[in-house]
Amino acid sequence: MARPIPAWLAPTSLEEALELRARYGEEATVVAGGTFVGILINQGLLQPTALLTLRQIAALTYLRVEDATASGKPLLRIGAMTTHRALERSPLVQRGWPVLASTFALVASPRVRNQATVGGVLADADYASDPPALLHALGASVVARSPHGQRLISVEELIIGHYETSLRPDELLTEIQVPGGIEGAIYRKFRSRSSEDRPCVAVAAVRREGRLRVTVGAVAERPQYFPEICALARGQASIEAELAREIGERYAAAIDPISDARGSSHYRRRVIAVEVRRALEELNRIIAARGGSQSHA
Amino acid sequence: MAAMEIHFTLNGQPVAVQAEPDEMLLEVLRRELGLRSVRETCGLGICGACTALLNGQPISTCILLAPLAEGCEITTVEGLGGHHPVQRAFEEVQAFQCGYCTPGMILTIKALLEEEPEPDEETIRRALGGNLCRCGCYLKIVQAAQRAAALLAEERRPQPGPGAAPVS
Amino acid sequence: MPEPGGNAHYTEPDPRVTGTIRYAQDVELPEMLYACVVRSPYAHARVLRVDTSALPVDVVALTPDDVRSLGLYGCQMKDQQVLAVERALYIGDPVAAVAAASPRAAREAAELIEVDYEELPAVFDAVEAMQPGAPLLHPDLAISENDAAYFGMRPEPQRNVCHHFRIRHGDIEQGFAEAEIIVEETYRTPSAQHVPMEPHACLARWTADGRLEVWTGTQTPFNLRMDLAGIFGLPQEGIRIIAPPMGGAFGSKTFVRYEAIVAGLARKAGRPVKLVLRRDEEWLTLNRHPATIHVKLGAKRDGTLVAKQVTCWANTGAYADCGPGVAQKMGFASPGPYRIPHVWVDSYCVYTNLPSNGAFRGYGATQAVWASERTMDLLAERLGLDPLELRLKNVLVDGDRYCTGEIMHDVHFADCLKAVAGQIGWQRGRRGKGLAVLLKGMQTPSRASIVVEANEDGSYTVHCATAEMGQGAWRAIRMLAAEQLGVPVERVHFPVPDTDIVPYDTRTTSSRSTYMMGRALVEAVRQLKENGELGYGECVNEGGLDPDTGQGIASTHWHQGAAAAEVHVDEETGKLEVVHLHTAIYAGRIVNPPAAQLQNEGSMIMGLGSALFEEITFADGQITNANLSDYNIPAADDLPRITYDLIERPGAEIHGLGETALPPVPAAIGNALFSLGIHVRDLPLTPERVLEASERRSVHSAASV
Repeated sequence: MARPIPAWLAPTSLEEALELRARYGEEATVVAGGTFVGILINQGLLQPTALLTLRQIAALTYLRVEDATASGKPLLRIGAMTTHRALERSPLVQRGWPVLASTFALVASPRVRNQATVGGVLADADYASDPPALLHALGASVVARSPHGQRLISVEELIIGHYETSLRPDELLTEIQVPGGIEGAIYRKFRSRSSEDRPCVAVAAVRREGRLRVTVGAVAERPQYFPEICALARGQASIEAELAREIGERYAAAIDPISDARGSSHYRRRVIAVEVRRALEELNRIIAARGGSQSHA
Repeated sequence: MAAMEIHFTLNGQPVAVQAEPDEMLLEVLRRELGLRSVRETCGLGICGACTALLNGQPISTCILLAPLAEGCEITTVEGLGGHHPVQRAFEEVQAFQCGYCTPGMILTIKALLEEEPEPDEETIRRALGGNLCRCGCYLKIVQAAQRAAALLAEERRPQPGPGAAPVS
Repeated sequence: MPEPGGNAHYTEPDPRVTGTIRYAQDVELPEMLYACVVRSPYAHARVLRVDTSALPVDVVALTPDDVRSLGLYGCQMKDQQVLAVERALYIGDPVAAVAAASPRAAREAAELIEVDYEELPAVFDAVEAMQPGAPLLHPDLAISENDAAYFGMRPEPQRNVCHHFRIRHGDIEQGFAEAEIIVEETYRTPSAQHVPMEPHACLARWTADGRLEVWTGTQTPFNLRMDLAGIFGLPQEGIRIIAPPMGGAFGSKTFVRYEAIVAGLARKAGRPVKLVLRRDEEWLTLNRHPATIHVKLGAKRDGTLVAKQVTCWANTGAYADCGPGVAQKMGFASPGPYRIPHVWVDSYCVYTNLPSNGAFRGYGATQAVWASERTMDLLAERLGLDPLELRLKNVLVDGDRYCTGEIMHDVHFADCLKAVAGQIGWQRGRRGKGLAVLLKGMQTPSRASIVVEANEDGSYTVHCATAEMGQGAWRAIRMLAAEQLGVPVERVHFPVPDTDIVPYDTRTTSSRSTYMMGRALVEAVRQLKENGELGYGECVNEGGLDPDTGQGIASTHWHQGAAAAEVHVDEETGKLEVVHLHTAIYAGRIVNPPAAQLQNEGSMIMGLGSALFEEITFADGQITNANLSDYNIPAADDLPRITYDLIERPGAEIHGLGETALPPVPAAIGNALFSLGIHVRDLPLTPERVLEASERRSVHSAASV
């Protein structure tokens, strides 16, 4: 009757980890920071047969900027085991990708951010976490490694459903890549209850190389992005008030929001229109002030 | 019945404890090490009653798998001795009622003040955002953080020479 | 820094600061087992069979067959058995329990118990539960012999009513006939969770000579002892209750919670058994009464109140607990602190298939004040009067008679209202501002007693049953004793209350302890000074109301306060920001200033949670937010500017401060919204509700253009 005691797998190299991941497949629950796994176990929602921790692999914790990429723009490379706090407090990130630093600083509490990792939050694909929507809007990608090689997956293609990713059972998410060349970026977290609550509606809006990307989080199974609506802003030097309003309303019409403790579907739709518009108004101000970016709680 | 042995430093002392790999550090600290200042309330990492410092940074022991503490330095309020400036500040201000959340508050403020010795009120409130106090002592807890910052600043000042009056 | 509470002597650090305080959940005994409760997944179901055959041999199970012959209990109605023997009455109703070697083993064992049920129709709304044809929860009902059942209950089991409290004052028909303006509205307030940081925890063991010993976080050791005696057929002296400090309670740790189950397991196991609840189980244990309140208020054109009729439906859930008392206090708080010649109140305590609702900081007043004070602003608007002026015109003053017939003394409602209006800048403009006033009774009748003993080393020991849950009562009583004995507070000890040692006390509720024990102490210290060894003192407050007319003495001592709020609304999202919250509370004489401040601040902050987001949500009787992610409580970063006045008066009595500030806070915020034309009837004031109400206003104003 007693539940089996799970195996604790603690590889010290990526190669060893990939070998264990390939061997155990879905049998092993990957532990990055472990916050989500801890919650699932406490709630009785997960009874792992094996726990595969990446904590001992020092090579998965880093923050690097590559200045000379093929596109001529810098690229931020984040080791998957980098904690939220490390990202938020990194001068490198604060300087080059300030929206990333300020958005990660909005996640949960300092305790959770000390433990939770950038790779973990993407691999969990939790619909109400802050980072996925922002990373989606920033056009970030992840490196997925397996014993057979590696592939680059955009965040858009990584998160395919409710807590569901396109990672294969023999793959590990090892790196997050965030492109530079951002002209303006904003993240707005609308909470309907306590300041400590997760978002009711989250909006990330980014303009890079003249193109607008608006991603709405916390309202559906996965981040919501509509390239055809964002294309309305193509070729515009600035996003005028009327266009901001129209994009907001179109997003609200295009999304079929969930209902939960943070708001009904009907209410969320109302707020999406407002918050997308406000994000674009702010983005416009940021671009006008020349290339700043920030996040707004 | 225990599946593995975990080694870490607890309040400056090396310890080895038995735990199952899917147990949380909170259970292990309470059961194996008899610590009572780490307490479960939410089980979700939301409330901060189970706060400990891991390598100097606050974490939620209720959602930290115990084996992840391997090789780390864990500090609980028992390790502060009772007269740490943050503890003294809490006592002076009387920033507690039932006291259940107090150890987590003290550790969170200790870590904050090491990073930011002179935080403004908003910074303190943000840092404490994830530490819930149902008695609602927040106003006095913020005052205690400010008082602790002042006490720590006094400690950092150059020590008076022999014969000078001690700083109280 | 000023020394807090006049404590001029710094000694050992406080155990709350060092983490060395030991709560009920920390009590351990050798050989103890850990319990886990098996709960009904149905809101209403016949329990057909409980099968424990799959349990390992070392697990002890408590099943309906073990408790069938034990006594019924309930602090006010005898409506509960140790387990749901015949029918389970809510989702979460305990039907069995296990004890095993570790908490984990107990949880796993609980899952191995199989229970067969036959599902029955259920009802969740109090108004519906009173309709003909609604499922009946307790067709037969007996009133409890517990001291907590003191006020003359009027059960009507054939319509799920366990108590119907009435006020009949003046001639209500004549009153409304005299009224020139009548306003009428129906309000709803939701269920809420106390969320004590420490969950319910208790430990029981049976001694070789057949005594039952229970360590438990409880505010009511003597009421608990009475009910346990009835359950197990023991004399009260055969039971010993030890009440360690609690990590918060707020009303949740009252009367019998899990002590009887744990005692039953311990008797069967022949070993001590301990239970510490999982967090989600707190929502299945005791919550705040959801209420529906209808108010009809009549006045003269000049604002003079002439008639008020109130109907309260207090949803008490599956078992009455102290719901009848809550309905009574909701009933006599609902007229508000006003002179009204004609008052008619019906307050029903109604069974439904929800978890039990009971004492919750505010004890019925939060619901009553929401309805009453929102209606005052509706009336002010209809009359075109300043809401402050309307209140000041009608508020009770010294020597007035309340609608219960009693004459009011030491009355400070007008002072409180003027103070909050001044602090919120009422005179500079009322837009976005609101205020509310409260009167709340204290447990009447009740009795407190205390023993003070001189020790050989020159120190003293105070023996009393007052529970410590963070409110600082132990320290306040030590300080009062020290003051009267003329010694430093460190020389007065306060051991953990043990019913084998401490004298009788009604209970630690309704913000009465410092007041009552403070008075009992005077006599105890006087006696001690006479004989040099031991003194005993007691304080009795006498009174009570006729349950059929609501006439008599509701309270020998009234908690009085007012709140004012300034809000800002994001009109596009409905998000409400409270900018400033101020309360003014009549405090009489303050014993321990930091503790008094903390109690008031905490009360305001809990009121803010009730106003803005605290609400237990249900789907067909199933709670859908039984965790701290889906149920938010206020955090440090949620607070507006918070200020307050604790109004003292030289020579005044001590006033309890634990729950005075909470009830007017939601009403003040609701009235601040109303000053912007946004009329929300139901709590909490979620952005969604505010947006909806603000659109109703737009429709109205568009229609009137």
